[in-house]
Amino acid sequence: MEKDDTSKSRSGLFSQLTKPTARYSLGGLLIVGFAVGIIFWGGFNTVMEWTNTEKFCISCHEMYDNVYQEYKETIHYNNRTGVRAVCSDCHVPQDWGPKMLRKIQASREVWGKITGTIDTPEKFEEKRLELARREWKRMLANNSLECRNCHSFTSMDKEKQASRASRQHERAVEENMPCIACHQGIAHELPEGMTDDDYFD
Amino acid sequence: MKKTMIAGSIGVTLAMAHGAATAAPPADWSKVEATEITLFYPGTSPMEWILGDVRIDRVRHGGGRAFKQGDTCADCHADETAAMGEKIVTGEKLEAKPIPGKPGSIPVTVQATHDGETLYMKFTWKQPAAANSPKLDEANPVKVAFMLDAGKVDMADGSGCWASCHGDSRTMPEASDTKTKYIKDGSLAGGVFYDLMQWRSGENKAYNGYVAEERVLNEAGDKLSAEGKLDGDTWSVVFARKFAGGEGDVTLEAGKAYNFGFAIHNEHTAGRYHHVSLGYKLGIDADGHIKATKQ
Repeated sequence: MEKDDTSKSRSGLFSQLTKPTARYSLGGLLIVGFAVGIIFWGGFNTVMEWTNTEKFCISCHEMYDNVYQEYKETIHYNNRTGVRAVCSDCHVPQDWGPKMLRKIQASREVWGKITGTIDTPEKFEEKRLELARREWKRMLANNSLECRNCHSFTSMDKEKQASRASRQHERAVEENMPCIACHQGIAHELPEGMTDDDYFD
Repeated sequence: MKKTMIAGSIGVTLAMAHGAATAAPPADWSKVEATEITLFYPGTSPMEWILGDVRIDRVRHGGGRAFKQGDTCADCHADETAAMGEKIVTGEKLEAKPIPGKPGSIPVTVQATHDGETLYMKFTWKQPAAANSPKLDEANPVKVAFMLDAGKVDMADGSGCWASCHGDSRTMPEASDTKTKYIKDGSLAGGVFYDLMQWRSGENKAYNGYVAEERVLNEAGDKLSAEGKLDGDTWSVVFARKFAGGEGDVTLEAGKAYNFGFAIHNEHTAGRYHHVSLGYKLGIDADGHIKATKQ
């Protein structure tokens, strides 16, 4: 008997959603739908982009006190051309699909924040290797996708590079090497306790 | 009769003097091609590290793979030796105990020529500012040494002297005080050795030797001589080496090129605390980074 009620209720909601309206005009519905869509989609993307800002990342003291301080000493933060790569440039893919997947993965960091897994420098250092390994693995698997958003072998003028860099980059092109294979630890300190397998070079 | 005997003995003496490898450089060195090579402080960077097989202070040599695939040290680093020396001498990498004020690099002018029987090498450089580093060699404020290989020493064509530099040799961290330079699979009898020539400022004298299973270095005989001087703030040292050497000497020939590297022990230093070159080619009437053409 109950089953029949639920079934009736579902069919009622479905029929309401599928039944043509006699009250609103098609034009009105389209305009409202379009406007709501823009507000929803725009709002979603605005929030998404906000979570990609440096300000958002370092609003957590776990990031500000640890990795941010190290990154500030590197060429990705301060350089002669004034171009800065912020956290998301290196840690979040640019394309929408991969970005969504990364954001979903990153939602576990909220849980980490709530439970305080890295809320002291000591806890952070204790977990640094695990976090770094996860990130290296990701950068290795995606062929250093985020690096390549800014750096590309085709636009490198190897004539302007030091001989060492020029030769190494030519070899990297030939062997299709990911950037992280040589540039591990370029923006943050390498963790203590790395085993030989942790080094890619 | 007496006059004849005296004249004869003078003639023999002159002939002997001519035959000996006394430093008899060209009268005018300015006509000899000069090559600028910047020596740099290597810190603790033994061959095992160059190959990328070990880490020092967690750092692996990024060029280890490139070296194993055939790149030479100079291919990648020839234009940055001064910067490398500065990084190492200040302790940024590869030196756990930096000496304040020690120069990171020393630019040296190298000239080479020959007369068909003797190779002449001249090294000229400005004395760097004093760092008052520990006097590991009281007797010699300065020493200059160079090594040659005729293609027998593994990896010498890419690394110059580096194949003789190992982490367990004296003055390296935690190494024995008695273990000298050596080359793996080195054998004097088998002809696998570096020919080593050194000038010591204390005695203003040449020492001749080789590096094979170990480093052997003795006062030079008649095959080698060297003379140096400090003129103002500029050192110049001239070596004269007979083409036909003796035991532990590479036999030199016009038309051939040899693997070459050199070093300066500045300010009473010894062992690894020297300034070194990358590996280069010395061509005797042949192509090379340094060309010894007949005068």
